[in-house]
Amino acid sequence: MYEFIAFYVFAISTTILFLITVMSKNVLYAMTALAAGMVMISGLFFLLGAEFLGVVQLIVYVGAVMALYAFAMMFFDATKNIKEKHQNPTLVFLLGGLMALLFVLMFSAPIIGDNIQAIYPMIEGVGNAQAVGMVLFTKYLVPFEVAALMLLVAMIAGIILAGKKMDYSLTESESADEEMNIKKGDA
Amino acid sequence: MSLEQFKNRNVGTQNYVKLDLDHAPTDAWSQFKQVVKRTFQPELFVGLGVTLREMMNSLFRGKSHTTQYPFEKLPVSPRYRAIHDMLRLMESGNYRCIGCGLCEKICISDCISMETKYDENQRKEVSEYTINFGRCIFCGYCAEVCPELAIVHGGRYENASEQRASFSLFEDLLTPIDQLNLQQEYAGFGAISPNADENIKSTPLAY
Amino acid sequence: MDATMLPEVTAAGVIIKAVLILAVIAAIAGFGTYIERKILAFMQRRLGPQHVGPFGLLQLAADGIKLFTKEDIIPQHANKFIFAIAPVITAATAFIALAAVPVFPGFTVPFTDIYVPSIASDINVGILFVLGMMAAGLYGPLLAGMAQSNKWGIIGSARTAIQFLSYEVVTGLSILAPIMLVGSLSFVDFNTYQTDGVWLVVYQPVAFILFLIAGFAETNRTPFDLLEHEAEIISGYVTEYSGMRWGLFFIGEYANMITIGVIASVVFLGGYNDFWFIPGWIMIIAKIAFSFFFMLWVRASWPHIRPDQLMWLCWKVLMPLAVINILITGLVIMI
Ligand code: SF4
Ligand code: SF4
Repeated sequence: MYEFIAFYVFAISTTILFLITVMSKNVLYAMTALAAGMVMISGLFFLLGAEFLGVVQLIVYVGAVMALYAFAMMFFDATKNIKEKHQNPTLVFLLGGLMALLFVLMFSAPIIGDNIQAIYPMIEGVGNAQAVGMVLFTKYLVPFEVAALMLLVAMIAGIILAGKKMDYSLTESESADEEMNIKKGDA
Repeated sequence: MSLEQFKNRNVGTQNYVKLDLDHAPTDAWSQFKQVVKRTFQPELFVGLGVTLREMMNSLFRGKSHTTQYPFEKLPVSPRYRAIHDMLRLMESGNYRCIGCGLCEKICISDCISMETKYDENQRKEVSEYTINFGRCIFCGYCAEVCPELAIVHGGRYENASEQRASFSLFEDLLTPIDQLNLQQEYAGFGAISPNADENIKSTPLAY
Repeated sequence: MDATMLPEVTAAGVIIKAVLILAVIAAIAGFGTYIERKILAFMQRRLGPQHVGPFGLLQLAADGIKLFTKEDIIPQHANKFIFAIAPVITAATAFIALAAVPVFPGFTVPFTDIYVPSIASDINVGILFVLGMMAAGLYGPLLAGMAQSNKWGIIGSARTAIQFLSYEVVTGLSILAPIMLVGSLSFVDFNTYQTDGVWLVVYQPVAFILFLIAGFAETNRTPFDLLEHEAEIISGYVTEYSGMRWGLFFIGEYANMITIGVIASVVFLGGYNDFWFIPGWIMIIAKIAFSFFFMLWVRASWPHIRPDQLMWLCWKVLMPLAVINILITGLVIMI
């Protein structure tokens, strides 16, 4: 009974929040709604008994990814409304709708066919985190490691892109002082 | 606090503690060395120790720097220029002011106003004497110019009042006659310097 | 403490516990401001609040009255809705994090058989949940800064984002090593692991120090109080806040300090086990109180650092140290 209510609360609020994300003209509203929606999704995970995934959802998506979005948004005036330009609204609507329909079909097909089976069923007496770990390090070891490698590559690339002038300190460099003095002299 | 201490304003002769700051590290290796040095130097913990010691001092030994202001006050310098006082002659109890009007003349914000008349002994008497403290800038010229050391600066610095007339009438500034024995000679602006006697030179009578 | 021996946890017990946490921690958070002012005052040879009530104890009530009756100003160009909910997010996440933390020992309500557990919700990924909630807590300052259309606010929220994101990495990595030793994410297991009297600090001193440093950063305390450093950015993300909204940020900050104190004492300092002859519940309160005091002590003693030094410290010193610590722990476990 509680779970029933909780599921609908989480599901409906997730949908509404994500709708706000898409519909809102205000960056701040969209961002807040997206973050709140992520929290609601982690609530769904908790309901399913997948506490580990729920917490990871919280830490990774809410705590890290969304915060990075927010960081990027600080370069704009977040309190202003944004005017979106739609070149071809019909096309966008059609394509978007088609995608949504496709997803619904894809996910409902096995339910209708009534043949969902867990390939790796939960082992009794094993915690959530352990179960995820077992699957990750046996069946999905190669994709897991490849993903790790890709992230490492991306990280190094990011550091190299961002860090070209990282050690250049304006306060300590003599030439910067001189430059500023010259500018002052000009003025 | 004695006057000598207040008069010692010689900046630079006190015992200042000089920090010998290193130069900022330039390359990565010296930066690293600095970090290692700072990590393993117990400086941070010395800081913690100092604050803990001070806490113990103020908790158990009553060493606190707080002056609980409205209840206790710090002494002000005798040279401090606050609300004026009018002094009396010690011997007769009469007020010192001879009504010469110099203070009224010199006041740069034109805030002293006075009226004088001759009394029955053909002696000048001050009938009105007010200082407009809304205008006074406490420059001290009046005290400096007064030939009789009559108008001086007192120590009343709490100037909040419901009306400025409260402390600007002659009677308010004058030392109350019953407290005459408490009246102190002013050491500040315009006062005779402590070594005035030594500075007196005999007038050359060469002509 | 054996889990099977405990009486059954009912919904009523959990609700009582939740109300208890809310009431007690909110009160302690308020009281914490008094303690902080007093201790900082003594350390700087002042007296601190002392006119309202005996030893100034009622200063707390005076502050509360002032905060509640202050005019609630919302700036003209601010995003009013977000501006209004941002402080609530800070306070709420701080309290939700406490739901998975063993704050007081469990007890039975007198005259009933309602058992109030020591943890409101004993999920078996407790530590991660607390860290996750504290991570979500960054939205309070972040949204507050962005919604108030004030440049100091924006700078404050940018600093929030970089500081919290960076130090979450250190918190997570530093606490990973003890997790590997214990082999569980539940606070109860951590407590049981240390029943033999050997605290985890002994095995993991580096992790403990790293966690403390990162904890200071995550609770926005000196020396890492860059989010609202007065001398640089007025008040950062709280520049435009007044009255009780500002008070909520404060309560959230103090609740977070308590949370960090609880994690440090349960994970590293032996939890609520009995120590020698001192019963466990006194021990845990003493440990939390000490870590709270330590935060104030540090605030009185150390200067705060520049943002670039903060980042440098995080990514070039603390994170590598944490990774090396994990590596060594892993090697030791394997051998
Ligand atoms: S200068 Fe002195 S003596 Fe002359 S009027 Fe003023 S107070 Fe009186
Ligand atoms: S202190 Fe200066 S401004 Fe004030 S009454 Fe004396 S001369 Fe005038």
